Amino acid sequence: MQGNINATRMELLRLRRRVSLAERGHKLLSDKRDEISRQLILISRQLGMLRKEVEQELVETSRRFVMARATMEPEHIRAAMDVPTKTFSLAINFASIMSVRVPRFTKDIAGEIISYGFANTSGELDIALRGLEKVFDRLLELAEKEKQAQLLADELQKTRRRVNVLEHVVIPELGEMIRFIYAKLAEAERDNISRLMKIADIIRA
Amino acid sequence: MPEIMEQPLFNFTTYPAIGEDDWRYIYATAEIRAIEDKLLGQPFFAELAGAKNIKDALDMLSGTDYAVSAGANGQETEQMLGRRRSEVRRLFERLIDNEKIVEFFQSPIDFANMRLAIRRLVLEKPLSDDYCDLGGVSVAQFEAAFSDEDYGGLPEHLQEGIEAGVLGYYKNKNVRDIDFAIDKVEADFLLDEAMGVGGVFLEELFRIQTDLTNIKTMFRMKYSNSQLRNMFFDDGYIEPSRLAQCLEAGYDTIVQNFLATPYQYVVEAGAAGLQKENSFIKLEAACDAHLNGFLKTTRYITAGTQPIIAYLLLKEQEIKMMRMVLACKKSQIEPEIILDRLAI
Repeated sequence: MQGNINATRMELLRLRRRVSLAERGHKLLSDKRDEISRQLILISRQLGMLRKEVEQELVETSRRFVMARATMEPEHIRAAMDVPTKTFSLAINFASIMSVRVPRFTKDIAGEIISYGFANTSGELDIALRGLEKVFDRLLELAEKEKQAQLLADELQKTRRRVNVLEHVVIPELGEMIRFIYAKLAEAERDNISRLMKIADIIRA
Repeated sequence: MPEIMEQPLFNFTTYPAIGEDDWRYIYATAEIRAIEDKLLGQPFFAELAGAKNIKDALDMLSGTDYAVSAGANGQETEQMLGRRRSEVRRLFERLIDNEKIVEFFQSPIDFANMRLAIRRLVLEKPLSDDYCDLGGVSVAQFEAAFSDEDYGGLPEHLQEGIEAGVLGYYKNKNVRDIDFAIDKVEADFLLDEAMGVGGVFLEELFRIQTDLTNIKTMFRMKYSNSQLRNMFFDDGYIEPSRLAQCLEAGYDTIVQNFLATPYQYVVEAGAAGLQKENSFIKLEAACDAHLNGFLKTTRYITAGTQPIIAYLLLKEQEIKMMRMVLACKKSQIEPEIILDRLAI
């Protein structure tokens, strides 16, 4: 690589500018990496608890639903559940965390989740559906946070790789080139001085 | 009240009369007596509930009516249970030889199909043909009536139900009102049918079922703080006003309100289940157990429609419990919860 370097003062100035830019980039990316790590730790702390709670509630809800479904005659469960009356729409907006586009969910829910009579249905079905309705907000929050965590983790990996490349490859290589050019220029300077001294000796003789 | 005099003393305070012998059914009753011993008992279900996993549970069924292949999935199991239910219904129709009684047990399925069809109709969903085929009206006839919106070919009680359901919906545009309206029509129709058959058994059965439905409804409304009113059926033994009072009372007071009734233990179990475990499982199990107890009093009848009807309902209960245990085993639900819901 050093063979291709044009060992001139112009090149030296250009390389110095590149080193300075790389160092500034390294600093910025390091800060970004630290901040993303901090955000990720915050999210993952919330995420662990949230996931545990949501999973518990979903297990409980599905247990009740299994029980209700199994103890109702198939025609009654179909009559009660086949045509849902609750409508749900989800809008996805994006926010920026450390220039990472993370999703924000906005939901719109209308209608009653319980849309059947009392005579041929199970009370466990009521509890299961109300439980599902209750856990839904937290389920969306969990989905949002997990996606954020995933995107931030991807970004963290990329940023760490860039910081490492700058720190261990780009900046040392540029430093090496600068040292090389310095050495070349110093050698040329010494050549020049010795040539001038020789000319001076010839003139004096 | 000659019927009451014929009851064994221990049932007298809990269950009403079941009627007299009808010697026309001597052969049919003998056939039922021969097969009712094959009904699976509580110990079998308890053992099934305690099976290590669904595979072991399915293995345990190999010597019974419910045998399926070891790798059977949920759909195959459901199909097998559906076949057992069809068989018992066919047997019932063959033995009972009374159109009114057959209609009494087919019409709840027709009403269930109708609820589904009306919901699809008013919400403009495809009508489809996935209705239950165990009712009195064939699926094809049902589908044709609803797709052409020509209900003239359906029995009168279904026409009445359709009218009530559709009117109920358009009053508030609330799908739930379809069920409420149809439930009332269904209850009135079943009471008329039960009274029309003659004998007390069917009427008493209907009244007990109505009471149990009302008690369950009361607990459900109380649990969810429902603002709905007049949701109770009038045709049971327990007055709707007493149930309405319970909506405002605490659980202890509710139990006291039922102290002098045969439903004391049902209400106690329901209140305890809701207070301690936030669950209707114990209430529903107690309701099923109470009804089973009534059906089991038909053992003291030598010949009649009562043992045949009781067999149908007990067999359907067995199928329901089988579905419950297998579904719970598949979902890895704890055996204690399964046992709480078991009512055989």
